[in-house]
Amino acid sequence: MSKRDALPCADIAVTECIPLPIRLEFCLEIWLTKVLCKFFANGACLKGDHCEFSHDWKDPSNNLCTFYQKGACSYGSRCRYEHVKVSTRQSSVASSSTSSHQFLVSDSATASGRLSIVPGVTSDLSPSSIPFFLPVKPAWSQTSQHQYLSESDDLGDFKSLDPADLPICSFAAAGDCPRGEACPHIHGDICPYCGKNCLHPFRPQEREEHMKTCEKKQKKLEALKHSQEIECSVCLERVLSKPTASERKFGLLSECDHPFCISCIRNWRGSSPASGMDVNSTLRACPICRKVSYFVIPSVIWYSSKEEKQEIVDSYKEKLKSIHCKHFDFGNGSCPFGSSCFYMHAYRDGRLEEVVLRHLGAEDGHTVIAKNIRLSDFLRSLHIR
Amino acid sequence: MQASRARLFKEYKEVQREKTADPDIQLVCDDSNIFKWNALVKGPSETPYEGGIFQLAFSVPEQYPLQPPQVRFLTKIFHPNVHFKTGEICLDILKNAWSPAWTLQSVCRAIIALMAHPEPDSPLNCDSGNLLRSGDIRGFQSMARMYTKLAAMPKKS
Repeated sequence: MSKRDALPCADIAVTECIPLPIRLEFCLEIWLTKVLCKFFANGACLKGDHCEFSHDWKDPSNNLCTFYQKGACSYGSRCRYEHVKVSTRQSSVASSSTSSHQFLVSDSATASGRLSIVPGVTSDLSPSSIPFFLPVKPAWSQTSQHQYLSESDDLGDFKSLDPADLPICSFAAAGDCPRGEACPHIHGDICPYCGKNCLHPFRPQEREEHMKTCEKKQKKLEALKHSQEIECSVCLERVLSKPTASERKFGLLSECDHPFCISCIRNWRGSSPASGMDVNSTLRACPICRKVSYFVIPSVIWYSSKEEKQEIVDSYKEKLKSIHCKHFDFGNGSCPFGSSCFYMHAYRDGRLEEVVLRHLGAEDGHTVIAKNIRLSDFLRSLHIR
Repeated sequence: MQASRARLFKEYKEVQREKTADPDIQLVCDDSNIFKWNALVKGPSETPYEGGIFQLAFSVPEQYPLQPPQVRFLTKIFHPNVHFKTGEICLDILKNAWSPAWTLQSVCRAIIALMAHPEPDSPLNCDSGNLLRSGDIRGFQSMARMYTKLAAMPKKS
């Protein structure tokens, strides 16, 4: 088969191909290796021989329009890339259904410069491409009129298909459809969170997904709104209105719920104690309630419930866990925080430090955890005369 | 430096806004220096200081609010925790128990509370402390009352 044929894998789709998975993979592989590597074409492909794309100048470059894949290309028929759906092609090849024939029509459609509407396109983003194309056409041309009619014919096809396969009107989903009732596309149901017509009436899974993300977004927005009002008790300013972006962060204390800017609370805890000030009871205590907290958690958002705080704390610890501890230094150093260190204690080969605690039974029956002996332990008890 | 200035300016605005909120405290900032403040506090009722108006001088360090302001009485006062000559105040929140959440206004309130509840076991004014510790409440009260009349009350003439 020729290279041009290899691209849309036409021979498999056109003929009554036996839908063997092996055949499909083989076909895809050929398809990839026959497409010119974009990086190679620009003179710098880092993958070299391992690149799954072709490094042969004779092969054609990938000519698929990425905007079309996402749903809409504003260039329409003037686009110099091909308007063919890749995902549809693959799935239709796999199922070898009659729709595979339908999408092939689109190939000839692009070739003839006509609109390429692929019937039965299933993509959650795929909006009605027609409204995008209309302004591109010169209004006075006879052909455009004709095209519009032919589009309507296509729409007739849409209706005969399974309603779940039909895309919903993208204008309505974005907030407002100028055609209103007269719109040939399905208008989605109103999402209770964002208030837009973006719920597909026939795709329950998609609906649920959208509602879930929408609810999360809404919650975050509300939390952010609430956080805007909160003032730091040290600088007496609103934390999220501080002049520099790095200062617009809360510093949560682990033991109490008093809000501070991250910079203010860190400055206070890091300030050199004035004479007589006790580090533990003064500096590490909350400036307001004097509850001692041993660490500060940075957060861009202020929480409104215990669970939310716990979530922030957990994600912060999770983040630190992925960073190598500078004291541990891949096993070369020793970390003063030991097993309670928030950072990762791993050796160069990726092995994690195994913590072995030595429990010593003291005379009075209590158990003590034996620490490593450090030089400073001796210096402390040393009396310099 | 910038932080202390910004914070003091905030406090200044707050004091201006809530001038009538606390009639016992009148806090004013020096016209030319935001690090120098003066306060007039009323002696708490049912104490020998009742009826007196005491002047306090604040000197705010540049590290404020990480470091406490220095406060002293300008008006003479007979109190176990106030130095009789210099007006220095012995109060934990102005020394080792300072917290940046305190404001000048709240420090004034703490000083009023100290006037009402003297702590004779850590005296700066030993005479006054000894009177209280020996149980001579009446002696202490009359001394304090006398000094309040002499120094903290407008002279009637």
